[in-house]
Amino acid sequence: MQGYTLAELLAVEASKYVKDDEMNFVGIGTGGQAWIMAVGMPTVAVCLAQHDHAPNATLMIGPVLDPLLDDIYVPDANWEYDLIHWPCRCQIPLEDALGIFRQGRLGLSFASAAQVDKYGNFNIARIGTKENMKVRLPGCLAQTDHGAYANRICVTVRHNRRTLVEHVDFISSAGHENREGLPGGGPVLVLTDKAVMDFEPSTGLMRLKSVHPGVKVEDVIENTGFSLIIPSSVPETSPPTKEELQLIREVIDPKRKFLEARITQEAAVLEE
Amino acid sequence: MIQRTSKVKKLKDAISMIADGDKVAIGGSLIRRAPMALVREIARQRKRELTLYSWSAGMDYDLLIGAGCVKEAWSSYCGLFQFGMAMNFRRKVESEEVRFVDLSESCAKDKFRAAAFGQTFCVSKVPLHTSMMENPEFQSIIECPFTGEKYVAMEAYHPDVAIIHAHRADQYGNVQWKPIRMMDNECDILIAKSAKKVIVSVEKIVDESVIINNPTWTMLPKMYINAVVELPYGAHPNSCDTLYDFDLEHGRLYREYSQTPEKFKKYLEKYVYGCPEYEDYLNLCGGIETLSKISRDTLEVE
Repeated sequence: MQGYTLAELLAVEASKYVKDDEMNFVGIGTGGQAWIMAVGMPTVAVCLAQHDHAPNATLMIGPVLDPLLDDIYVPDANWEYDLIHWPCRCQIPLEDALGIFRQGRLGLSFASAAQVDKYGNFNIARIGTKENMKVRLPGCLAQTDHGAYANRICVTVRHNRRTLVEHVDFISSAGHENREGLPGGGPVLVLTDKAVMDFEPSTGLMRLKSVHPGVKVEDVIENTGFSLIIPSSVPETSPPTKEELQLIREVIDPKRKFLEARITQEAAVLEE
Repeated sequence: MIQRTSKVKKLKDAISMIADGDKVAIGGSLIRRAPMALVREIARQRKRELTLYSWSAGMDYDLLIGAGCVKEAWSSYCGLFQFGMAMNFRRKVESEEVRFVDLSESCAKDKFRAAAFGQTFCVSKVPLHTSMMENPEFQSIIECPFTGEKYVAMEAYHPDVAIIHAHRADQYGNVQWKPIRMMDNECDILIAKSAKKVIVSVEKIVDESVIINNPTWTMLPKMYINAVVELPYGAHPNSCDTLYDFDLEHGRLYREYSQTPEKFKKYLEKYVYGCPEYEDYLNLCGGIETLSKISRDTLEVE
């Protein structure tokens, strides 16, 4: 028994990328595992960073800007009545929620996707081609906006060949394949249940950064649908420290509202 | 003094302003505050060949698509949020019976805002290098005359009719929302301003004096409004800001009914075609008394 969950490992890893004095974004999300990857885990990551090295970092959760993130302030459900009454510094007008990132004021944006490719293009709109559609997914939401403008993007997905593909079927968020004229920095971090990946600066291609404790590099290669850049030495993802686990379990998320999606209608755990 | 003209209409008469083939813009976001009673009446009157515009759609699009009213739809999203995929939308877009045009949230809002500000187009960098550009409507790239930066030109939305749901209005069409509301629903204001005609349903029609005493609540003064329909729980089963939550029970029922076209036909027969009057629908859902269990707040000032 390793003594920590996958969601805790990823939250601690993601928190290292949260910079002081930046605004970070998560959506409202729906429920279940997808919610933990796109909303719950990132929210804990930002709160951890606020406790650790980034007291001035803020989080925007849909229209809720800079809420108090420790458990005692977090509502039990994410219905809009509860979201509206969540203690926060600003309920942000939609005009601003969709405007501030265009001024470069969005630091790290957290996402999830049905497909992510080697360039860091994301797809949440459609599986299959326009002419031969296999699955119509709900649509781009604000992912395209953040793909164009966010300073940095962290995407969290399941590590398998169906998700990590050579090229996405629909680009709902532009990666490093072509960023000419796009002001944002694009994706910087890919978190999965097996590994942490980033992008090689010279080529913009996805590169293995670390493997989670107990995962072999071969296992990562085998479950990636494209040729991942593998550095000569691949470290292990740092496990959470005792202090970090204590902070998560006693202060930030003791009721598992975030890391088990208990604030939504559909509780889950990231481990399958 | 001569009386001003009342814009209060019966549900049937208001929706009869919509013609087959119209471009209809719908308010709300995801499964929040879409004008579902107006939407069901469009389906009940069996309007055809509609083009739908929204900022972020949900059950509103899915119901109209499932009822065969739609030929084309534009939005940043069409799903049932916690209830998963919008199955009618998914089926008919996959089979190409309905053309769906993908937009990001900011682009959808930009297109409404352009029309609301009297402009014919707007520009955005967002579609660059994405599949939004696979549609012919997003293939015109223009340069900023001052900086040379590249933008995709997007035509303003010009809906024939907009339908929205608000908290209250007077009989003349001065429309108010309580200040404590879901900010994500604010695109409604631009959606209304972009359209040639606006039909608004409200929880309550109030005396003009209530409006006059609270003028900062008025988000759409009467110049924008063509018809006001009083429909308590008019967003049901959608939520309405803090006034009432999404009706989980009806959400589960809708998800079940929308799994196949045959089942969905039964939903339409029961909850749409089988309800010639709005009261019939409310009674079918247990009546106002039962619905009050999803209420969270009142329209009174705190």
